[in-house]
Amino acid sequence: MSDVIQKPEVDEHEARLETDPGQSPCRISRRRFLEGAGAITVTLLVTSPWGGATRAVAATRTPYPRKRIAGLDELVTNKPIPFRYPDDNATYSNHLLIKLGEKAGGGVGKDGDVVAFSTLCTHMGGILASSYKSDSKVMGPCPTHLSTFDLTRHGMIVSGHATQSLVQVVLETDGNDIYATGLQGLVYGRSANS
Amino acid sequence: MSDKNRATDRVPLPPKDADVITTACDYCIVACGYKVYRWPVGKEGGPRADENALGLDYPVELEKGGWLTPNMHNVVSHEGKPHNVIVAPDQDATVVNVNGNHSIRGGCIAQKCYNPETPTRDRLKHPMIRIDGELREVSWDTALDVFAEVSKYVIDKYGVHSWAQKMFSYHYFENTYALTKLALVGIRTPAFAWHDNPSVTSSTPGFRDVGIDNFGPSYEDYSLAETLVISGTDPFETKTVLFNHWIMKGVSGHRAKIIMINPRKTAGCTFAEETGGLHLWITPGTDTVLHLALARIIIENGWEDSDWIKKYTSNKWEIESGFGQGTRNTPWQWRTTWGKFEAKDYAGFKEWILSIDESKLDFAARTCGLDADDIHRAAELMARPRKNGNRPRTMLVLEKGNYWSNNYTNSASYASLGLLCGAGNRPGQMIGRMGGHQRGGVKAGRYPLERSPEKFAGRRRKTLDLDRWVENGNVRFAYVIGTTWTAGMTASGALHETFLDLTRRNPNQVTSSRKSSIIRTLKKRVDSGGTVVVNQDIYLRNPIGAEIADIVLPAAGWGEEDLVRANGERRLRVYSKFYDPPGDARPDWWIAGQIGQRMGFADFEWKESNDVFEEAARHTRGSRKDYYPLVWKAKKDGVKGHELLRSYGTTGIQGPVRWEDGELLGTKRLHDSTLKLPATGPQGPTVHNKKLNGFNTQSGKANFIKSPWWLFADYYEYIRPKDGELWVINGRVNEIWQSGFDDVERRPYITRRWPENFIELHPDDAERLGIESGDYVVAESDRVAVQKSGFVARDTEDALFSKLVENGHIEMTSASVRAVAVVMPVPKPGVAFMYFLDPKAAANSLVPRVCDPIANNYRFKLASGKLRKIGESEYKESLEKMTFKSRDIGQTV
Repeated sequence: MSDVIQKPEVDEHEARLETDPGQSPCRISRRRFLEGAGAITVTLLVTSPWGGATRAVAATRTPYPRKRIAGLDELVTNKPIPFRYPDDNATYSNHLLIKLGEKAGGGVGKDGDVVAFSTLCTHMGGILASSYKSDSKVMGPCPTHLSTFDLTRHGMIVSGHATQSLVQVVLETDGNDIYATGLQGLVYGRSANS
Repeated sequence: MSDKNRATDRVPLPPKDADVITTACDYCIVACGYKVYRWPVGKEGGPRADENALGLDYPVELEKGGWLTPNMHNVVSHEGKPHNVIVAPDQDATVVNVNGNHSIRGGCIAQKCYNPETPTRDRLKHPMIRIDGELREVSWDTALDVFAEVSKYVIDKYGVHSWAQKMFSYHYFENTYALTKLALVGIRTPAFAWHDNPSVTSSTPGFRDVGIDNFGPSYEDYSLAETLVISGTDPFETKTVLFNHWIMKGVSGHRAKIIMINPRKTAGCTFAEETGGLHLWITPGTDTVLHLALARIIIENGWEDSDWIKKYTSNKWEIESGFGQGTRNTPWQWRTTWGKFEAKDYAGFKEWILSIDESKLDFAARTCGLDADDIHRAAELMARPRKNGNRPRTMLVLEKGNYWSNNYTNSASYASLGLLCGAGNRPGQMIGRMGGHQRGGVKAGRYPLERSPEKFAGRRRKTLDLDRWVENGNVRFAYVIGTTWTAGMTASGALHETFLDLTRRNPNQVTSSRKSSIIRTLKKRVDSGGTVVVNQDIYLRNPIGAEIADIVLPAAGWGEEDLVRANGERRLRVYSKFYDPPGDARPDWWIAGQIGQRMGFADFEWKESNDVFEEAARHTRGSRKDYYPLVWKAKKDGVKGHELLRSYGTTGIQGPVRWEDGELLGTKRLHDSTLKLPATGPQGPTVHNKKLNGFNTQSGKANFIKSPWWLFADYYEYIRPKDGELWVINGRVNEIWQSGFDDVERRPYITRRWPENFIELHPDDAERLGIESGDYVVAESDRVAVQKSGFVARDTEDALFSKLVENGHIEMTSASVRAVAVVMPVPKPGVAFMYFLDPKAAANSLVPRVCDPIANNYRFKLASGKLRKIGESEYKESLEKMTFKSRDIGQTV
């Protein structure tokens, strides 16, 4: 499988936008997502924007594992559940699974309101783990420099300094089970998510 | 390939041998230091410290800097070959953005670089002339010859007053020097204005008269203050790292208290409240009254810093005799000969404050819409001595919400209030402007005031209001550089219409591509009373370029040329070239040089930007940006000025630069009473301007200035909302820089955040008007005043708004602007707020085009209008674009 990275404009929501309109919000296409971001080994084809030849650049990417996070019936609205993904790294892999009680971009469950986000601020890595605001469904303000992120809209910056949205965990459900299947955006500190 | 296949969960690391080039952010005044890592496409570094150019192990530690994000990466052309670049905040920085702190704007600045595979693909690449109604590519020779020929014709036939230049004031020393050499030295036209004012004027004339330089404080002072008063801006939104690092450092370090004076409650205001400070949710335009009330409370309680006032402010003798160059020649004097502002000394100021009704607390509380107790508490935090007798270290800073709502008296009263607190000349106790754009202006010559047709009462000339000059039909040729002009100035819709009348609606339109024919047609245009417009920019802007201009010239900018400028603490750095400009785009200094040569002016033959930098140096002597000693030293060492400054990296050096005991020294702050200068006087090429350690007055001491409310009261009465109107004020937001040419228009991450201009309103107002977040709303007014005539005042009161109306100089126009409603408890009830410079929905359309009578500045931040829902936007239901969450969310809410 090949991938091309000549387009440096960053559009981390594009995969999310690939929602099939005929399906429920919880069915954000995992296949689409993996097409974009994951494969055992991908070759990055870099085409010269100025007419040069396309060249192949070897790079390695590890696919995101499918991991069960919780059961839908365990969730209480506005009570975040912490979990780690895609690995068990104590610093970089912390996320919160939250039933917002309000339909959200990328949300799963019958109301499309179950989402999960990294707890590392995408500005400078401030820890957001205890900053969820149940009234506004916002994560933040970051204790370090006060950035806030809208969890109903894919972690979009509300006010602050981050160069990308809060990293969202791609979720899917199978019956009562909620699975993490990928990450949208680069986790703070890393040069690649896994 | 399409965007969706873009990797967003990884970033290529620069290999160990990547080129490392220093620069600074192109956007806000703070100008954080950045490093560019550049390497040929086809390889990458690794995550171990010994595998990448940053020398860091990835993942990097939390909150330490050094993290690279996908938006910091781009692919550019360097010497014709594709290269990866990472443009990252300098994690080694020890000044400005310590440890690589950054804003959302700067953090994404790599996306500014031209790359034909990104939305930057429409950069202007070739000169164009409008032929048969369409802009068509022409050669530089054709475009420049037409420019020069038509210019010479206009100047010969109609005089220099009919040849106008409207340009950025900030886009680097080399460019502003070259361009002003053309307008002010070659042509010597008074029809000249910067991008942000209708005339050449001080942004804060009240500061000037008190003796305060706008950019005296260092960023360290913000961290040293114990009470920091911030008026007319939230630096969290607009001067990000100054807030993030320096202001928050004072709060966390010694529990500094912040007093925010702002009609909007944004995140920085919430932070001020949550950390023991105050947010004064003031009614727009009433700041002078608040300042007077604070002054009165301080004076009545005897909290003023008497010893300091005695030592550092002018007494009667110093005010009256200290103006050695002749009393009539100083701005302070010509303003104060009205006899209305001059306070003589502190005793006179005190007497005046206590004698006027407008300084009384109940009047202020009522007028400003504030709680009297809050005003009193603010005065206590600012000036009340502690039980041990120590005074709080108080610092006062302001920005456009203050001085662009009531220019003269707001700035004068604020600075005088600062003097009461003993602020202005010592660490952590300064008075200053926080700033908007960076400080990149060096004028090659003085403004030809003697040629200006505009006058105060009496014989004194005033710099020309260029918009009124256009409106009045006097401009036949307009050279517009790096500004939207119409959207950036007031009553934008009306100004747009005027330009269309003068250009596109004129019968003389170019229909041939032959140079001689183009020149002939454009000469007919100007002879018929029309105008020829040339627009020089990096993108084709609408309307000034796309719709109005006859000639469009493509400029090269940040990253595409070695350029220098200063930030808000006067820090000078080289913004290095690191990639090729697109197509035939050329730096502004080169274009000005070509025009100068073709118009027959001497000394426009620069070979590279360093030539201009070195030539401009002597024009900075004695100024806050004085870098003459640096160029002097460079010449002595046989290196280029740029190269010597580049060796200072992202640290740069703070102006004025001095040569002392064999080395170059920067200047931490101006008016610095703690600064030790050599007893033997300035050394080598150094100039000791008195504002180095004194105030910017003839006596070197600060002047108390009176600021009578009546000067503004008639305008305030006109502009305040009536009959169901709201205030419709405007300003910046964190995520957008200026007219959005880089971000909202060409950066998908930011476009999703703000796909269209917005109008914030308070839930109380929204409910009354039946408006919800996501609704399309029209803000409209049929009483947008435009001053179209009246250049000469006979009596002192002729320039007051009520007199302008009485004398028939004001025409009422109507305007409307559409925006997406955002309902949140951020603007004060009765106030709506829009982004200020969206060319597609120009908030300035509603702002009257009438200048402050003292300073010829607009009151950009004051407008009123009625709001009406006209439909619903897609964003109301979208989960992808725009968010309506409140900008005031704090830790406890």
